[in-house]
Amino acid sequence: MNLEVLVFYLFASITVAAAVMVISARNPVHSVLFLILAFFNAAGLFLLCGAEFLAMILVIVYVGAVAVLFLFVVMMLDINFAELRQGFLQYLPIGGLIGVILLVELALVLGSWTILPSAGGVAAAQTPAIGDITNTDALGRILYTHYLLPFQLAGMILLVAMVGAIVLTLRARPGVRRQSISAQNARTKELAAELKKVSSGQGV
Amino acid sequence: MTAALSNDLVLAIPELILAIGAMALLLLGAFRGEGAAGLVNWAAVGVLALAAWATLAGTGEAPRLAFSRLFVVDDFARFMKLLVLLGAALTLPMARSFMARAGAERFEFGVLVLLATLGMLVMISANDLITLYVGLELQSLALYVLAAFLRDDAKSTEAGLKYFVLGALSSGMLLYGASLIYGFSGTTNFVDLAATLGHGDGTGPAIGVVVGIVFLSAGLAFKVSAVPFHMWTPDVYEGAPTPVTAFFAAAPKVAAMALFVRTMISPLGDLAPQWQQIIVFMAVASMLLGAFAAIGQSNLKRLLAYSSIGHVGYALVGLAAGGLQGVRGVLVYMAIYMVMTLGSFGCLLAMRRGGQMVERVDELGGLSRTNPMLAFVLAALMFSLAGIPPLAGFFAKYFVFVAAIDAGLVVLSVIGMLASVVSGFYYLRVVKVMYFDDAVGPLDRPIPLPVRLVVTASGLLTVLYFIVPAPLLVSAEAAAKSLMP
Amino acid sequence: MVAALVLMPLLGALAAGFFGRLLGDRGAQIVTSGLLVASAVLSWIVFFDVALGHQAAYKVQLATWMSSGALQVDWALRVDALTAVMLVVVNTVSALVHIYSVGYMAEDPHVPRFQAYLSLFTFAMLMLVTADNLVQTFFGWEGVGLASYLLIGFWYKKPSANAAAIKAFVVNRVGDFGFAIGIFAIFFVFGSVSYDTIFAAAPAVAGKTFNFLGYDLDIMTTICLLLFIGCCGKSAQLGLHTWLPDAMEGPTPVSALIHAATMVTAGVFLVARCSPLFELAPVALQVVTVVGASTAFFAATVGLVQTDIKRVIAYSTCSQLGYMFFAAGVGAYEASIFHLFTHAFFKALLFLGAGSVIHAMHHEQDMRHMGGLWRHIKFTYAVMWIGSLALAGIPLFAGYFSKDTILEVAYAAHSGPGTYAFWLGSAAAAMTAFYSWRLLFMTFHGKARWAGHGHDDHGHAHTPHESPLTMTVPLALLALGAALAGMIFYDNFVGNLREVFWAGSIHVAAGNHVLEEAHHVPEWAKLLPLVLSLGGILVAFWFYILRPRLPVALAETNPLLYRFLLNKWYFDELYDFIFVRPAFALGRLFWKGGDGRVIDGLGPDGVSARVLDLARRAARLQTGYVYHYAFAMLIGVAALVTWYVYRIGVTS
Repeated sequence: MNLEVLVFYLFASITVAAAVMVISARNPVHSVLFLILAFFNAAGLFLLCGAEFLAMILVIVYVGAVAVLFLFVVMMLDINFAELRQGFLQYLPIGGLIGVILLVELALVLGSWTILPSAGGVAAAQTPAIGDITNTDALGRILYTHYLLPFQLAGMILLVAMVGAIVLTLRARPGVRRQSISAQNARTKELAAELKKVSSGQGV
Repeated sequence: MTAALSNDLVLAIPELILAIGAMALLLLGAFRGEGAAGLVNWAAVGVLALAAWATLAGTGEAPRLAFSRLFVVDDFARFMKLLVLLGAALTLPMARSFMARAGAERFEFGVLVLLATLGMLVMISANDLITLYVGLELQSLALYVLAAFLRDDAKSTEAGLKYFVLGALSSGMLLYGASLIYGFSGTTNFVDLAATLGHGDGTGPAIGVVVGIVFLSAGLAFKVSAVPFHMWTPDVYEGAPTPVTAFFAAAPKVAAMALFVRTMISPLGDLAPQWQQIIVFMAVASMLLGAFAAIGQSNLKRLLAYSSIGHVGYALVGLAAGGLQGVRGVLVYMAIYMVMTLGSFGCLLAMRRGGQMVERVDELGGLSRTNPMLAFVLAALMFSLAGIPPLAGFFAKYFVFVAAIDAGLVVLSVIGMLASVVSGFYYLRVVKVMYFDDAVGPLDRPIPLPVRLVVTASGLLTVLYFIVPAPLLVSAEAAAKSLMP
Repeated sequence: MVAALVLMPLLGALAAGFFGRLLGDRGAQIVTSGLLVASAVLSWIVFFDVALGHQAAYKVQLATWMSSGALQVDWALRVDALTAVMLVVVNTVSALVHIYSVGYMAEDPHVPRFQAYLSLFTFAMLMLVTADNLVQTFFGWEGVGLASYLLIGFWYKKPSANAAAIKAFVVNRVGDFGFAIGIFAIFFVFGSVSYDTIFAAAPAVAGKTFNFLGYDLDIMTTICLLLFIGCCGKSAQLGLHTWLPDAMEGPTPVSALIHAATMVTAGVFLVARCSPLFELAPVALQVVTVVGASTAFFAATVGLVQTDIKRVIAYSTCSQLGYMFFAAGVGAYEASIFHLFTHAFFKALLFLGAGSVIHAMHHEQDMRHMGGLWRHIKFTYAVMWIGSLALAGIPLFAGYFSKDTILEVAYAAHSGPGTYAFWLGSAAAAMTAFYSWRLLFMTFHGKARWAGHGHDDHGHAHTPHESPLTMTVPLALLALGAALAGMIFYDNFVGNLREVFWAGSIHVAAGNHVLEEAHHVPEWAKLLPLVLSLGGILVAFWFYILRPRLPVALAETNPLLYRFLLNKWYFDELYDFIFVRPAFALGRLFWKGGDGRVIDGLGPDGVSARVLDLARRAARLQTGYVYHYAFAMLIGVAALVTWYVYRIGVTS
């Protein structure tokens, strides 16, 4: 057993344990923190595979943006998670049953894992050997050539997400004063100030 | 720009038109502000029409692949795209007056419909599991937003949220299935999949592939709202704004069904004995649930939701039958179903009493006396949905059942016909309430012109379809042929 | 000509029935009566040509009705002496009744409908008597049944009229069932329903038997008995007679036409028409004789105590039909038809006369509320006398010739059933005379008991009044027939000229000389009926004129007998107990239990209830909770995956 395998099992077991804690922790803030832990370990697994770009992206996007956002939301909204989880025990037996069944079946599926003999020749896309080229480079090449269409469409999805977010949340509140830069810039000295001659000793 | 890329772009012109149109209208709306809603709405209809026109180019040619074989354009795709574009183009104008009254006349509506339609077109032309997923997500995301478009309305928001959560789950299932299939076959491309899965060593496909197909079809079944993945449908249909519901019942359903058919017939065609059982199960469950659950409904939108579940079941009968005839049955079914359902929702949109939408069945009382024309069209549509000859709905059912019987699925057809009898109950109840119950009171006038046009057109198509059934049959046949290997 | 004769009443019926409102009351009356009179004139011409003029019998082929394998049925009119006699009877009486109805129904709001029904009936009756085959006969047979039903229930607002109509229809169904089976049997045996074919082939079948449930039955006897069941129903013979008295709920002209002169004699006609068959079935003839004689006696006894003027005459009709049947039963079909012929005149006369009385009394029918009427309606009184004299068989009047002939042939038959018929018939003759004069005396003599019994408040003075001319003229014509018909036609029908007159239309077996022998019966047998009739009249005179209290006292001293007769031998009660109530109970069982609980319960109602249950359950699945929905999806996927894992595990 070499070091690599040891590290793999370390990362993998921590990931699974953290995932269990995410759904079982009483405090939602703890849940999010466990989620971050799981992400980090998953990134470690990526690194083991030599996919350093994915590992970094995972840390930056999921930990740096998504999980932190989660943390904010959880802390800002006072959601009573205990109440939400009330039905949990009620559905545990049947849910557990379904879960166990699916687990057993998937184990069966994995047990019979064989790539179809006819599948040997068709690789989805030709990947250059690691070492010739960096991760980032390789991904970029394939994204902008072979997967041009999905890539562009992913852009459209993001556009929809943006539009949707604005549509659903942006509203013009009456009674809120907003900064109008153009109005500010258009202000002249004459508009902003008025000079008055005040006779001395008389007051305004 | 290389010649190959320009060649690809030519094939994707309808999609490009929609994408560019959507972005241009977004800019227009952003610069012009809220006042641009009407303009954007009509412009979106124009964009859809333009895309439809572009879709027609190259009809009858052999299927062509593009974008590294991720994208396919054939007659099947053209047929379904035209249906989708038509569905979208008819709902947009109907939505305007509704949104204006609901105080939600915003230009993003048109843009979102365009983007959703773009997603649907991509789904229809998908030739790869990745394209499939991306198209599906693009469509779904836009639809989630549309369902919640009346953001101050609790029901609408709830509908959007439910749709989103369950949709995410179904996407997960679909991705899981896709990854299983990829894992066992080493490819996501439909052409390669067909080649790989078609050359089994005689022991049948690996169990992993079959499980993958189950998960994949679960995700697709969610989009067409087939039982048991239908649960979102009644709630979302009821909660979403009525024009959005009309859009849901028409365009995405057609697109998802197209995707379903293509996925099952094209890459997985050789595994038909495996997936046929899934489809048969879903078809039976959908037909029966659609028939029984709708009986107790008092809300028309909910009723139509169950009705759409039932109709998906009938269309799936055609898919279960497979082959040229079965696919043709599905195509004819979806075309006729879309016309009928748009007409039905048009009728719903036309009915407003004292400023309130008429949504309950008992509010239709005596409609035959207060609005005889509307009542007649709605009655004709109900009869047609029930499948009573000589209305269009009868032919739709006829072709799928004939295909099923030819394919040896006699029991399935018999169950379908029985379910159709049961479903007659609630369709005829609507007619009975309109024609024999006491009048509730006159409806508000005038009915918006686009609504009137759509209702009239769909009523005419439904009633008079039997006079010229040939064009639809011929084009459906050509479309089905292009899908066959 | 014959076709026109048959179809004119149909034309009248259609005109009055469908365009009655257009024609108006008067128009409908003129159209139907006019067509009927024309038809009657034509039928007299046919009678003179065919029956008296000895022209050969002929057939008029109208169309092919059905042709299916061996079954060939034509619309064809068969004209021979028997048909000619029936045509005269039917059309004459019908025409007179049509005219009579103009006066009688003057105040009714549904005149066109009434006239249409009358004409429809006449058409059906003509189809019956001119039929060339059994199926066409059956068509006419059912047609008259329908018209009878419609006319009995003409006053459909009266519950009793509706009940009577239904009763008539249902009881006739029983008989028709026998008739229909008889037709099936004939077609089965002979392969044809045409009279000529059947009659030609009949002798070959005589004496042959068939096996039924282990019994060897004579074919001809079976067929004839089946036909006779039909006759019993239509002609109200003992057992199936119960509908006839109730049928008096219909308007009186209907009673005269249908329930006295024509329809009820259809059974007699059928026996005569099928004489070639009956002559080959002696056992069946004996049954006919016994049933006929029993009916004659039974109906006469019941007639003794009835108080409703029309019911008395109805039982009298029933009784006279019994005479006709036993005459046919002993083989004297000619005598039977002769009595049918004369009876049509005097019985129609009696009914129409009674109608005139009822008209005069403003629709009062109970004789106990009449009396002393002769001063007010002298003409009616006179014709009633003539009718009664004819009915009682007083010499020179029509009934004397026909009825005495019948009693003589019964005596001359020298058989057990014949003797039975002779004695019962003679007793019935005495009773007939008694109740006829009882009717006359109660109605026209004695104290006037009608004061304060003016009914139907319809605006005229409440004194009896003579009927209008439209009613008295038919009465006069019928009185003429009742007085003279017997005398004129005696020789032709049953006398020396009978063989040329009938010209083979009635078949008499070679060894059957009963009519000849009837002329040579002992003197006492000839005189007995007359003596008995006169005795009956005298007793009636004694009871109702000299000692009016005597009948009451008699009824009080013999309460059992009186009640027995008054309740018509308890036939209705018996049937009610045996058939009607069990049938109702069975019907209720099938309706509530079979249809309601089993068929509806398991069928429509049950299915719809289950559907609603399912619908409720299906709707309850929709809880609204997202996690329930997600759960449903997961269960679905898990189930499908399990199914496949299991299946692939099994196959590999």
